[in-house]
This record gives sequence, C-alpha cells and structure tokens, in this order.
Amino acid sequence: MKPFEYHKPQNKKNAIELAGKTTMYISGGTNLVDLMKKHIHEPDKLVDLTEAISSEITVEKNGARIGAMLSNTALAENENIKTDYPLLSKAILKGASPQIRNMASTGGNLLQRTRCPYFYDTTMPCNKRNPGSGCSAIKGFSRMSAVIGYSNHCVAVHPSDMCVALVALDAKVEILNTTGETEIIDFINFHRLPGDTPQKDNNLPEGAIITAIEIPRNSFNSNFEYLKIRDRESYAFALISVAAALVLSGNTIKDARLASGGVAHKPWRWSKAESFLKNKEATEENFRQAAEIAVADITPLKDNKFKAPMLTGAIQQALLNCLSNN
Amino acid sequence: MDYFFDKPIANFATRRVEAEEKVTGKGKYSAEYDFPNLVHGVFVGSTIPSGKIVSLDLEEAKSIPGVIDIITHQNRPEVPGLKGDDAKFMFKLFHTDNIFFDDQPIALVLAETLEDATYAATFVKAEYSESNFNTNFHKTKDSQEPEDIMAEKGSLESWEKAEFIVDQEFKIAMEVHNPMEPHATIANWKDDELTLYDKSQNVYGVQSQVAKIFNIDPDKIRVISEFVGGGFGSGLLVWPNTIAAAMASKHLNRPVKIVLTRPQMFTNVGYRPESWQRFKIGADENGKFLGAFHQAKHATSSHTGHTDNITGLTRKHYSFPNIKTEQAQIQLNISKPTWMRGPGDASGAFAIESAVDELSEKLNMDPVDLRLKNLSKTDMYGKPWSTNYLNECLQIGAERINWKQNRKSIPGEIKEGNWNIGYGMAVGFWNAGRKDSDAAIEMKPDGSIVVRSAMTDIGTGTGTAMQNMAHTFLGLPKEKISIELGNSDLPYAPTQGGSWGLSSLSGGVAAACKSLKTKLADYAYGSKFIKGQGNLKLLKLDAKGIRMEDDSLEPVSYESIFSQNNIQVINIEESSSPGKEAEEYGFCSSAAHYVKVKVNQLTGDIKVLEMVSVADGGKIINNKAAANQIIGAAIGGIGMALMEEQKFDNNHGRLIGNDLAGYHFPCNADAPMIDVSFIDKPDYNRNPAGAKGLGEVGIIGCAAAITNAIYNATGKRMRDLPVTPDKILMA
Repeated sequence: MKPFEYHKPQNKKNAIELAGKTTMYISGGTNLVDLMKKHIHEPDKLVDLTEAISSEITVEKNGARIGAMLSNTALAENENIKTDYPLLSKAILKGASPQIRNMASTGGNLLQRTRCPYFYDTTMPCNKRNPGSGCSAIKGFSRMSAVIGYSNHCVAVHPSDMCVALVALDAKVEILNTTGETEIIDFINFHRLPGDTPQKDNNLPEGAIITAIEIPRNSFNSNFEYLKIRDRESYAFALISVAAALVLSGNTIKDARLASGGVAHKPWRWSKAESFLKNKEATEENFRQAAEIAVADITPLKDNKFKAPMLTGAIQQALLNCLSNN
Repeated sequence: MDYFFDKPIANFATRRVEAEEKVTGKGKYSAEYDFPNLVHGVFVGSTIPSGKIVSLDLEEAKSIPGVIDIITHQNRPEVPGLKGDDAKFMFKLFHTDNIFFDDQPIALVLAETLEDATYAATFVKAEYSESNFNTNFHKTKDSQEPEDIMAEKGSLESWEKAEFIVDQEFKIAMEVHNPMEPHATIANWKDDELTLYDKSQNVYGVQSQVAKIFNIDPDKIRVISEFVGGGFGSGLLVWPNTIAAAMASKHLNRPVKIVLTRPQMFTNVGYRPESWQRFKIGADENGKFLGAFHQAKHATSSHTGHTDNITGLTRKHYSFPNIKTEQAQIQLNISKPTWMRGPGDASGAFAIESAVDELSEKLNMDPVDLRLKNLSKTDMYGKPWSTNYLNECLQIGAERINWKQNRKSIPGEIKEGNWNIGYGMAVGFWNAGRKDSDAAIEMKPDGSIVVRSAMTDIGTGTGTAMQNMAHTFLGLPKEKISIELGNSDLPYAPTQGGSWGLSSLSGGVAAACKSLKTKLADYAYGSKFIKGQGNLKLLKLDAKGIRMEDDSLEPVSYESIFSQNNIQVINIEESSSPGKEAEEYGFCSSAAHYVKVKVNQLTGDIKVLEMVSVADGGKIINNKAAANQIIGAAIGGIGMALMEEQKFDNNHGRLIGNDLAGYHFPCNADAPMIDVSFIDKPDYNRNPAGAKGLGEVGIIGCAAAITNAIYNATGKRMRDLPVTPDKILMA
C-alpha cells in the first residue's frame, strides 16, 4: 500500500475542505482498502468520514432518510426499515458477509467498484482501471459480465445488492458538493453506463460526498422479494438478482417494481416490464410475459448466455415469491 | 499378528489435547514464531506463463526504507541442488531466467517489516521475452492419446457389445486446497545448522528434501510443524517458500519469514488438476458388471511431472471381469499440480459412480442394489479383504435417509412449487495403508508420560488419538498423558497423508507402550514377573503406580519404582512396521454417501437438503474427530460438485479471480447438517489399534452422489463439475 496522509474531520465542512485530485474519502473501507492494497487506488490523502457525516436514520410518514455513514447491518436490522421497506433489508442481507456488512456504510455501498477480476489484476488490460488499455473481459472470462447497457470499452457490472433495492424503491441520493451546496440526485441516475468512459462509475461530482439516502413512502412492504442467484449461499456476487415488489388490490397489480443486479454497469430497472404488469392480474402467465419483456432487451456475451434463461426464471420466481414468501 | 492389546480402543469423544492452545492462541503456527532480528520476505511473481526474464529493475524497490536486499536469479547465493541438469527441486528457483508458470517467484524482497517488504515488492519491474504458451486443457487434451496405466484385465472386445452399456465423458475443473493457514516458513540458519518452522504435513520429508537441495547432512536440519492449520495434501511437498526462506536466511545470516499471500496459495503450492474422463461400463441383463473401460487425462505442468491416478479406483471396489484403464497427462504452461484430498480417486469416482447410476436406470434396478450386487470380494490382486464393510455402509445409509420410501425411480416426480426434489447416492473407497512409524515415551516419577512422534496434526486429531491409544494400551489416566508432535527431533513418522497417518502411528504407540510396561515390570517385580504376553496384558498403569489385574503381585507405586532403582526418568523409543499382512489381505476403507437435493427449475438454484455418510474406518478412536473428518470431506464434496473451480484466462495464460472471493467453496449456508455414522469394527490385521484411515474416503464419491441426486430431481445428467446454476439451465 502506498503511504498516505490520514484525516478524520469532525464535520462536513472540514471534510469538503480536504477534497482534492489525490484525495479519497473512506468510511467502512471494505472495498477501498483492498483497492489500495492492490495499488488500484493510490490516494495521497485519505479522509475518514465516519465522524463528519451522519449515521442517523429516520423513518417518517413521507419516507425514510438514512445517514450515509449508517452501517449496512444497522440499516438492514432497523425495525422501521424491516416494517416499511423490507425489500431493502432483504437485499442488504443477501450481500457480502456479516463481517463486511458490519463495516460497510450506506454511502460506501453505492460507491463500491466492480468486482470484474480484470479490474483487480493490475497486470492485465482494463479500461476501467487504466483507460485505453482495452477490455480483457470481452474476449476473456465474461461469465459474470453485463448483458445490457455495456459498451466495447467495458462489460463490468455493479456489484451491489442494496442498490438494486434502492433503485426499485425510487430512492434519492443527497450529496454535498465541494462548494458546500446540497444536491439531490435520483438514484436511477446516480450510477452510469460505461460508454467510452468506463473509469467513471457514477455521476457524483468530483470531491462531493454522499450525505444521505432518501426513500419516498410506498406500499411495497407486503408483496416483495429480493432473489439472488449465485454460486454459493453467502459471500458471492450475483449471477442474477431480482428486486420485485407489487401493490395488489385483490389479485390486480396496481403498481410494480422490477430491478436487477448482475446485468449492467448500474443497478437496472425493468421499466417496460413494470408498465406491462400494471393493472394486470397477478398470474403466473403475466409474470412469465413480464420476464420475457425484460429479457428481450438483453444481449449476452460469449460466456453469459445463461443469463437469458436465468433472468427469465429469476423474474418469474421473484414475482411468484411476492405472492407467497412474506 | 500381535494381539497384545486385545481390548478395543476406547472411543473417547473428548476434547482435543491441543484445544486450549488453539482457542487461546498459545499454540503457534509456523508463521507465528517471533525472533528479534526477524527479516520478512515477500515473493514477486512472474506476470507471464512462459518465457525468459530479460531484465529486472530493482532500483526503486531497493530505495524503499526498510528493504535489506532483493534476491533474484542474478544475485542469489548459489544453492547446489538448484543448478545443473539434476536439480533437486521442481524448478530452479532463482537459478534460472526461465519462466514456467504464471506467478512463478522471480524475486524475493527482504525487509525489516512485512509492510516494507510488501510495498517494495510492488516496485520490482521485470521485462520478459514471452514465449508461446498454452494453458487450455480442454483444447489440448485431444492432441495426446491415453496409454495403459496398468495391464489390461481380460479384454474390452469381450463385452463392448453387451446389452447394457453406458459410455460417457466427464469433466472436472481445477480445484485448490487453500487450507485456512497459508503456507509459511521461518528459516533460521545458525553456523551450519538450519531450523525451519514450516507449514507441512511431513517434517521428515522437508528435512530430507531440503538437505538434498542444500547438500547438507539431514541431521543439521530441524523442522518444526507443531500446529498445522489444515493441509488437504498441499503440505506433502516442499514448495518455494521453504527453499527461499532457507536461502535468504543463509545469505543474510538472520532468521527469515515468508508467508504466502492468499493469491500465491493458488499458484505456488499445488492443486487438483483439471481433468477429462471417459467411462464405459457394461452389464448383463441381471445387472452383473461385465467390464469397465476408463480413460482419463489431466493437466500437469510442463516443467515437472505429476500424475493423479484417476483410473485407479476402477480396479478396486467393484468386481469387473474385464478392465482397461488408460491415462494421459497433458503438459501445459501452468504451475505444478499435486495430491489433493482423495487424489485421483475423488476424480475417478465422479465418473464411475455417475456411470453406475446411469446404468442402474437402464437396467431398471435400484442403484443401491446394483452396487451391492457387484462389490468386489477381493482386492485387485485377488487377495481377500481383511475387512470390507462397504455393503453395510450402503445398507445403513439407505436406512438413515429412508431410501426405499423417499427416492422415486423416475426423475422429477417430487415437486414443491418450482423446486424439484431428488435423491442420489454413491460410494467411496480407499486403500487402508500403513507405513513405518516410531514413537517414544518419557515417564516421570509422578507417573506422568509424554508420548512423542514427529507426525504432524493437520487438524485431524492425531494428538488426541495418541492420548486415547496410550490410555487404552496402558490404563494410565488421560490427564497423565501429554503429547508432543510435529518436530523432526522426535521419533520418525511418515507423512500425514494418504489416510495412513493414524494407522501407522498406532503401531509405534503400541510398541512403545508395550516396552514401557515391560520396563516397569522389570523394575518393580524383577524375576517375580514372568515375562510374556499373558502377564503383560494383566499389568495396568493407574494414577499412582502399577498393579496386576488379577492381583497376583503387589501393586508398586511409581515413586518407589523410581527411588528404589535410583532413576529420574524412563525413556522408551520403539519402531513399528507393517508386517506381512499385506501379502495375505487387501485393506480398504469405504463409505456410502446419500444426498437429498432440491433444484429450482426456473433459476437453476441448487440446495443440498440432506447428506448421510456412513464410513468404514475400522475401529474409531475418537468419534468426534472422526466425524469431523467426514463432515469436512462431505463439505469438500459439495464444493467439488457445485462450486469449486479455479478459472484460467487462456488469452493471458493466467489464473483469474484467484482469491477467496473469486474461488468459491461452500459456506455454512451451503451445507445441511451432515449425518455421519461409522461401522466401527476393528481390523487388527492392519495395526494394533484396528483403525483404518478416514481422511480421503469421505470425499470420494460425494460429488457423484450429489449429481445423481440432481438427475433424480431434474432428469438432467450433469457430467461437468462444478454444477453451477447456469449449467442446470443450459443443460
């Protein structure tokens, strides 16, 4: 690890003042420390945000507000979240391991970097790590890679489970920029597609800090599922994950949310499939059709053709589980 | 056969002798010894799989504060066994500019702290001239024809047109050992004597190989592996960390520690090689096996050999009148593979046991009945089994999972929503070996003893078993018996591998116990004691002294034995060897595995719901430790069947994702409670304890039991391990 200065500001203002080209913020460090050990990130200055940024959580009638420093464990175990936003809790608990969730922060979860193996091996080409060097995954090992929204420059996927629930729940990201202003970014626009600049994972302005996540009040707390298909039952990234939530009136779907991890450079919303489900009956056949609408848009790579049937199946199973699991 | 100890060994499910040291951290693993003046070494690995080092730029690395020196092929101290044509190691570590595999050590950075060495290592820059390379096993395997690995029995022609034939191909991915404790060495060279604290399953093996490489007397080398955090076979050989630490310690005249990083554990200490098999089996209409034709090919390194005897099992547990077995080892630009738990047979069993399951379906016979019908009555040389309870393992396992009631012969009959439920089974089999092994006992006037052997304890409970054996053989209370292991100063022991550890060691412990009794009787009773087995059997050691069970002689306290004879200590050392029993009998351990799985038809998700393993390991010395072995092996079997796969990027000739996040082995949530039971019948022909090895047999056949259950659930024959959810959906 390259030597660095360590700062622990006590408030937001002091944190922002430390921003700079070679400064990085750290909270739980569950990803950044690995990246520093591997010399993928070599900050000169490391700014610890754990005391500068709030870890408070409030759940009120217009929605939830989650301080960016709240740990993944505390968020998943929060009684109000379990009652009002259980999809979020379930998604978090499907991610990483208890030890990592204890350390990882809410804000940091959004900013974790892809787990594409080529990104982590500094001796192999990777456009995300070293722009212009090429993408090793396209012609190499692409089993875990994207099936939608990728480019010739990058086929990496965003690794988070929590973010898949947040995009499904129409969350918003509150940030503090370097001029000291607070901005709100819709969660769905927070992460970005790789295009020809895969080194940029998201639209967070340089030096800005995530201060909170907001989730508007919704009625997706009765019929929901977070289904994750992976190579083992814990501490494995998704081959495919599906966040599904329905608002039902009798057996009629009044509103639907469908999102996936393991498919794209960002947590992916299946809006067409959601629209299709609205005002339809909650039947196996309609679920199958919704899945097919979603899957019609994907273009798998050479090693991940399986993601088409897996996504079809996972969407159907997740929607079915919305009716029975909870 | 010496029936001197005719009482069965007590089966003590007690805590381990080393439990307190392990849970309090007092027990030291190889990397945990500390020395003032300790130097930390970190390997820099090659980033190409084949070629030559053209130049090395060490300037920046050397400028890092704390760096003492950097050893490379350009400046290494010369080691006699690493140069010339008859090098005594798998490659000429730091004595060649040739690169044979990805991550081959090209430099050893030596620094005052681990952090300094790790940091400086990132600045070592190498330029290579790259050669063509090939790491793609499946694209290469067809270029080489397999050859007979043993003489053909009968003829293939005689049965290949049999009415019932299964002829299929099978693939298994590369698997790594990765025990929890990484391989590590501290070498401390003082004058002409070398001490090695080394993670190993074989202290005498390390001693003799290092002696050859450095061309010194083995007696000048002391190897200590007192606590070993798992092995699975990776600790059977000497690897670059041991040689490099010794080289550097001699060079700097300071103790040097090298601990492999987790990614280096994938590239420098062996693995189970990727393999391909074809298995053809024929039977008559009654289900009698007519013949087997088993071909296997596996990957190996081009710079040094390794053969996994994948086809060996075909000659062992079933009775085939005709057998042909062929193998080929495919040389690639990869690091050296080695033995991994159930080497050869774990791979072979996947093909054999899958094909037998498929054959049972063709015959419309229950797979358990088909196996029972075809179990071999003799070993492959025609000798009768000394003991072979595979039939009982099969029957007990079937009862425990309620096979006859639960399992449906037609696949996919049991459904829960989109989940299909299936049952499967398979068997495991392993030679029950025994090797030469010595043991020593030291007794003090208070009657306490220390039993010593150089054998390591890689987590199998060797020390606890020695205590149990000594307690049973002598009668001495267990709290008076302590154990010392894992040190080349101690009496000779073979490798802890091949499932022969305890079997071998029991001979040494029994001989030493008998000798101690004889000596105590001599001291206490002199000519009053009629020497002979009968009387010795009646001699018991209790907490205070010795006595005869029939009270034929007065009890004598240890105190008086020691004071009357004016001695402070009694030292015994005895040897043991297998006798001629192997000329008369075949020896085997065996197991039957039964599995219940569910498979989601929409998502390909697979869950193992139940696992039953019934094993014959002869007399069970410690139920807890023995069950622990079988549980660990069963979980290894889940890994082999469902998730373990080290992937290659064949464009770069390198491993990818080689860490514990990228390489999946089962976590607790992947494993059900595993129902283990033992036949627990002694085989005194094998050794005085009647115990047969259990280390391998638990994993052999496990993967096939799981894939057979997947077939029963889904109607899909999965012949390419690991069976990840994507493969279910694409099948």
